[in-house]
Amino acid sequence: MTETKDADVRFLMGNEAIGRGAIEAGCSVAAAYPGTPSSEILESLVRWKKELNHPIYVEWSINEKVAFEVAYGASLAGARSLAAMKMVGLNVASDPYLSAAYLGVRGGLVVAVADDPGPHSSQTEQDSRFFAWFAKTPVLDPGTPAEALRMTLRAFEISEKYEVPALLRPCLRVCHARQNVPISAPLPIAGVGPFKKDWTRWAAIPKFRLILHRKLNEKLSEMVRAEPECRPRLISEASGGPVAIITSGSVSSHVRDVAASDERLAQVDVYKVDMPYPVDAAALQEIVDSHEKTLFVEETYPVLELHVQDRRKVLGRMTGHVPPQGELLPDLVEDIMLSGLGAPTVAKPAPQIKARRPSLCPGCPHRPAFYTIKKVFEHAIYSGDIGCYTLGVNMGVVDTCLCMGASIGMAGGLARAPQGQSEHPVVATIGDSTFFHAGIPALINAVHTKAPFVLVIMDNAVTAMTGGQPTPANDYLADGSPGVGVDMEKLIQGCGVESIEVVDPYDHQALQETLERARRHTFDDGKGVSVVIARRPCVRMPNVEMPEERYEIGEECDLCMSCTRDLECPAFQYIKDDKQMVIDEDLCAGCGFCVQVCPSQAIKAKGSAHA
Amino acid sequence: MSANNVTNVLIVGVGGQGIILASDVLSKVAGRVGHEVKKNEIHGMAQRGGSVSSHVRFGKTVSSPIIKAGEADVLLSFEQLETIRYWPYLSAKGKVIVNDHKILPPAVFTGQQEYPPDILQQIKECVPDAVFVKGDDVAGKIGNPRVVNVILLGVLSKYLDMPGEAYEEVLKESLKPKLVDINLKAFRQGRSLG
Repeated sequence: MTETKDADVRFLMGNEAIGRGAIEAGCSVAAAYPGTPSSEILESLVRWKKELNHPIYVEWSINEKVAFEVAYGASLAGARSLAAMKMVGLNVASDPYLSAAYLGVRGGLVVAVADDPGPHSSQTEQDSRFFAWFAKTPVLDPGTPAEALRMTLRAFEISEKYEVPALLRPCLRVCHARQNVPISAPLPIAGVGPFKKDWTRWAAIPKFRLILHRKLNEKLSEMVRAEPECRPRLISEASGGPVAIITSGSVSSHVRDVAASDERLAQVDVYKVDMPYPVDAAALQEIVDSHEKTLFVEETYPVLELHVQDRRKVLGRMTGHVPPQGELLPDLVEDIMLSGLGAPTVAKPAPQIKARRPSLCPGCPHRPAFYTIKKVFEHAIYSGDIGCYTLGVNMGVVDTCLCMGASIGMAGGLARAPQGQSEHPVVATIGDSTFFHAGIPALINAVHTKAPFVLVIMDNAVTAMTGGQPTPANDYLADGSPGVGVDMEKLIQGCGVESIEVVDPYDHQALQETLERARRHTFDDGKGVSVVIARRPCVRMPNVEMPEERYEIGEECDLCMSCTRDLECPAFQYIKDDKQMVIDEDLCAGCGFCVQVCPSQAIKAKGSAHA
Repeated sequence: MSANNVTNVLIVGVGGQGIILASDVLSKVAGRVGHEVKKNEIHGMAQRGGSVSSHVRFGKTVSSPIIKAGEADVLLSFEQLETIRYWPYLSAKGKVIVNDHKILPPAVFTGQQEYPPDILQQIKECVPDAVFVKGDDVAGKIGNPRVVNVILLGVLSKYLDMPGEAYEEVLKESLKPKLVDINLKAFRQGRSLG
């Protein structure tokens, strides 16, 4: 994204195409919470905003619920608006989302929700098309980045026409795929005029909700009648053959390639549904009735399949022809299509190599924090959370990981169960962004109920896992413009926590002493939850300067392996033939923590005199 | 070329080796010479030292961004062990380019797992014309360990039917000005090795 022209072709990632689509649609407010595979949607909006000098307002919100509410408010006030998130984020935003479906919108409101079949970077394989069905809102399901741009424009139109939020559901293989995408000049900022007071709608009591529900149902029926995207369209040559395939979204691009590459599949009619909800169920039934067999290939739930009333000639997830979990990649799609035809499938060798597990980066401040937590609270239950620091699991210092913010809520329960309480103190760990996202109500709950656990907030000043987006503690906003940094200590104080300490995790002794004081406060003195903030910026941020110092391992090393096992630092490498531990200077970040904790004090700064 | 006249290039390695840039440049070059291009890349937790791959597919019409098993025309691997992991993707007549470099997984250096000792030998036996590149040594000589990806891109370019100038143009447009010269040097060096 370097030059500006009115109409052009750019090599765009699906998420960038969605951002571009929003700009082209005249969207003027966008809010998001980062999460793989959705984060680049808002990031690209920031770049488009700068490139085009566009007036769109963009924000990284504190969580997805707030992001949706910001976008919804903007829509009621007349703007076209966008909220972006990953699919589990829609769970967080589900309360306002379902209500908004009844109340409706004014300016077009698009909620871009990235699904992660696999799952590659998520807790679930939930299908946001199913969520759209549950909420009774339309959902568009792009198959490619170029289609994602076109569908973003359509989603705004449909949302505004029917006054209902529209969901856009790209899967990972659209979000992070790239292709040349035609782009056009942005429309002027769109709008439907300023906010209009109407409490029977915007503040509807249950009596009016019934009326609104009826209206919503009427809107859905009208969509099926009027919008071409609700109907399956043929994307192969009409074969007149006995078998049909009905597909949608990113998996449709695999289906298309597989069908084109295998002669046995030439006699198959392939249909794609662009809007899987609300879908023209009668048109689906017609395809099923006019073929001997119809195979449904969709990710990840059988949304289209379940819309067929008479499924006697249907193959899909409900019949076990499509596996009930896992991502549908071309190899599997080929197997599914061939077995659907009754043709033999080819066995494919699975690689025998063990997975290469990710690790915390060299120099990551979470590593010394986890190391010291484990030392001070040796037999604790470690209630973990979602972010880079979930990788503390490698060091044996993350025992649970449920969802955003659950480390604190669950710690309250882990500490209440009567079984083995005395032997196992509870220590919760959470990152700064996740704490802001969903940890604050849980912390207030813990204070109020005198829950006995220690909370360590691992504050690296950004949302690191997803690429370093700002948190509410930063004094700048998504586009770099100034914001107000929220003071984390004051916030925690305001929650009623009595014991709060801030410490640099690189300083082993200071961190250990701080954790010991927290332990006394919470467990020995029984004074309820204590909070330790282990604060040091993420080493991956471009403005962070790391020490130049490099280290070497002296003869004192007795190969106890603590550096690779307990510290789990990727910079250490054991040379088996030489029976020697070495430090890879290119990987080493120079944090020097290993020097402080090596049991045989064998690690020394390079060039310093040996003892 | 595989079915449907699509060229499939699979680039694999370990998070942090610069695979996204290499595959991005390749894709843009393919687009520039008139192909339809689809590319897939990996973001998120795998970038923290996990196994990563980038699929690049180009030809007259390309729909899916993902290569099927047995259909990669070129397997370009930035790391020895990763070559084996993605071996099933290689087509019967596929080209293999391997960076002669090991990145030990944590399970190896804690002693829970062995790093297979003779990977290059195994590859040679399966594919006699496999190309081995000491990319990290070359990068060291050029003076920046971070240009391994562009050296390997240079090697790769020898086996794809697209002009070297197109790569150089795209590199110039994709990189920060201060990094252009060293990367052009790396690309040319790689191209001379192929």
